[in-house]
Amino acid sequence: MVARYVGRRLVQAAFVLWLAVTLAFVAMQLTPGDPAQALLAASGATPDEVTERRTQLGLDDPIPVQYARYLLDLVRGNLGQSWLHGRPVGRMILEQLPPTVELSLAAMVVGVTMGLGLGILAAVRRGTWLDTVATTVAVLGLSTPTYWSGLLAILLLSLQLRWLPATGEGDLRHLVLPALVLGFALSGSIARLVRARVVEVMAEQFVLAARARGLPPWRVLFVHVLRSALAPALTVIALQFGFLLSGAVVTESVFARRGLGKLVVEAILWRDLPVVRGVVVFGALAYVLVNLVADLVHAWLDPRLWEELT
Amino acid sequence: MGVGFVNLIGCAIILLPIYRYNSKKVHIVKRFSLSVTYELLFLALLSALLVGCSAPSSGARIVYGLTLAPSGIDPHVNASSELGIPLTSVYDTLVYQDPETGKFVPGLAERWEVSEDRLIYTFYLRRGIIFHDGAPFNAEAVRFNLERITNPDLASQKARFMLGPYERTEVVDEHTVQIHLSEPFAPLLDALSQVYLGMVSPAAVEQWGDEYQLHQVGTGPFIFAEYVPGDHLLLQRNPDYAWGPPVYSSRDAVTAPRLEEIEFRFFKDPAIRSPALETGEVDVMGEIPPQDIARLEGNSDFRIESVPIPGVSLMVFMNTARQPLDDIRVRQALLYGTDRRAITSAVFRDTSPVAHGPLAAVTFGYEPAIQKTYPYDPARAATLLDQAGWSDTDDDTIRDRDGEPLVLDLYLMGWGYMPEVGQLLAAQWSELGVGVNSQAVSYPEALQVASEGRHHLIPFNLSGSDPDILRKFFHSQANFNWSKVDDPELDAWLEDGARISDQRQRVTLYSQVQLQVMDQALVIPIRDYVNLNGVSNRVQGLLFDAQGWFPWLVDVTLEN
Repeated sequence: MVARYVGRRLVQAAFVLWLAVTLAFVAMQLTPGDPAQALLAASGATPDEVTERRTQLGLDDPIPVQYARYLLDLVRGNLGQSWLHGRPVGRMILEQLPPTVELSLAAMVVGVTMGLGLGILAAVRRGTWLDTVATTVAVLGLSTPTYWSGLLAILLLSLQLRWLPATGEGDLRHLVLPALVLGFALSGSIARLVRARVVEVMAEQFVLAARARGLPPWRVLFVHVLRSALAPALTVIALQFGFLLSGAVVTESVFARRGLGKLVVEAILWRDLPVVRGVVVFGALAYVLVNLVADLVHAWLDPRLWEELT
Repeated sequence: MGVGFVNLIGCAIILLPIYRYNSKKVHIVKRFSLSVTYELLFLALLSALLVGCSAPSSGARIVYGLTLAPSGIDPHVNASSELGIPLTSVYDTLVYQDPETGKFVPGLAERWEVSEDRLIYTFYLRRGIIFHDGAPFNAEAVRFNLERITNPDLASQKARFMLGPYERTEVVDEHTVQIHLSEPFAPLLDALSQVYLGMVSPAAVEQWGDEYQLHQVGTGPFIFAEYVPGDHLLLQRNPDYAWGPPVYSSRDAVTAPRLEEIEFRFFKDPAIRSPALETGEVDVMGEIPPQDIARLEGNSDFRIESVPIPGVSLMVFMNTARQPLDDIRVRQALLYGTDRRAITSAVFRDTSPVAHGPLAAVTFGYEPAIQKTYPYDPARAATLLDQAGWSDTDDDTIRDRDGEPLVLDLYLMGWGYMPEVGQLLAAQWSELGVGVNSQAVSYPEALQVASEGRHHLIPFNLSGSDPDILRKFFHSQANFNWSKVDDPELDAWLEDGARISDQRQRVTLYSQVQLQVMDQALVIPIRDYVNLNGVSNRVQGLLFDAQGWFPWLVDVTLEN
């Protein structure tokens, strides 16, 4: 049963992957600018030499031929060589992956903790000043760009108070600031979702029944309300993984960390198609897997879901 | 020393209560033997922490902040200026350029001869030089390097083109090598003095293949120890280094480097560069944003080392092939109507010199007469526009002619403060009644827009120490011929300048080029590029090469 479901999801995943790399290819075709020209113009190459390089990169072939080669390489598991760096794309991605994963996970922990806390607080104290404060913080998180909150955090916590290093990576201390900043941005949407769900569930009959049985309020909240309220939140949180990957782009830059985000931004700027393709495949794969796992966990928490899924 | 001591006291104050608290707890448990063990453990821990706290002040290490994570750092393959900052210390070049005099001095080659027809350069190599991997440097290594660079399979983005009409290299004997050209090429020595043509170890290239850039081996003062792309690049002292050029040092003799280690790190976001310096995370930081200069200069821990960069100044190219800029009076009006002083003051906080012509003032061959060409004169600009038939007939503050408003398409790339410059230009020209339609573009897009001639105006700048750089912009066939100029005289002078190697003749040629460019009003020069380095006062003896970008770090010492 489970195996069949997972199998079906994996077939879907393959389709999603194809769609993602195809969209990336189309987007790169629509973006103006010639990679060969961008690579060589400043070096003083003659127009002939630029044309030669374009042929060498296969950019003179008809678009369908380029697309076929683009897909076939991928099917063969060959991520190719970066046009800009001249290095194998697979190894470049593996180098940049660990810090991005590290930051995403840490930010996820911060964001979920903050989001849950703020959301539950606001729901339980609905209509009071605590609700207002918690909701305001959530909206701030949601609407503050990380390049700004990141800079503020550095100015305050590193430059003024000297508590934490501002930039780079290495030990856990380097991770705190970027994780806080990115997690804060993430917490906003989670808090709003959790608040709405908890408010909704608290109005349900079984909560009233639990209260009527004389259970202490904390028990009602943690055992009865949250279990029912949070299961669906899980899938939404998993969807935020995409937000983390894109948020990491800016956060990496502010905190001078390496990562996939910087790699792909540079690749897009320079029209470095093999690198764009590689990162898109990796990103799409990670996204699909995270959501698959979230759905499985959700179904495990809420067995009713199995019937719908399978 | 003082700081270290204060640190130590501070750490002790923090740690002591912890120690006492813990030992008390142990006594309450009243297990004597255990408590002694605990105490000993705690003392050990305490001393370890104290050592950690006081931070070794041996000081033979600096952190150097780069402003981009370079896109590939094989000097033969990749093109970024950024890669040269660390790698100038890893590689030696055949010759060096003295930044003071502009003269070429011996490097790996102790002397050289040029044939009568200027097609053969013979280099006599210095003996006793060894690569970091122990292999000897010799004529065969030079041949290997030049063949590697010119091999189409390497897909060089810069080094190949710096060699111009390179034909082949011939090994004469173990220590003599000849470079053959198909036609004379004046900038050859300039090219050979740059890190892009640095000498790499043939054995290392063969061993590492397409991952050579992670395992680079040269003959330079520092050894390439570790590179984690995007994070850091670590160099370590080469204790055997004894063949540095005299220009490497302000002292009498060049000896092995004094620093033990240099760590290069990458700070793409300009806003974070000064804070990283101020928190002590880096000791040297390139390209400090101009608005941070005053703050750093007010701090006695830092100084600003401002290095002027030779090459083509930041200038706005005017498309002479597109209406209305095909009319020289309109182009001249824009020149007279631009208050460059106001721009360098507002955007660059007076850290950059005002540019008057296409070449930065520190470039060889710069023509000072250019400074008188277009003073700020809005009245004259207005008259020229009137004469060209542009006047505001419909009272919308924008001039028009035959019902067409005078609005220019200005394309702006996101770096080098071009957006800010563009904003000020638009503001200044609006007073003249000239409208500007600004658009942000990426570099590849700008190249495409400009090659199709869809622009009126695009600003750009490029660094380089040889005036042959002008050929990339003002030759009719040039990649950056964004003014769309087609002037046989300019073409001839630029071609001669690249061929003739008599320096006096070249100066004359390039002087003509610069004056002609301004006479034809092809560009609006804005400012000469200046690399603003923030440097901790601990760091002494920092020198920069003739390109202005690349630091010479052999002589750097740390003061406490």
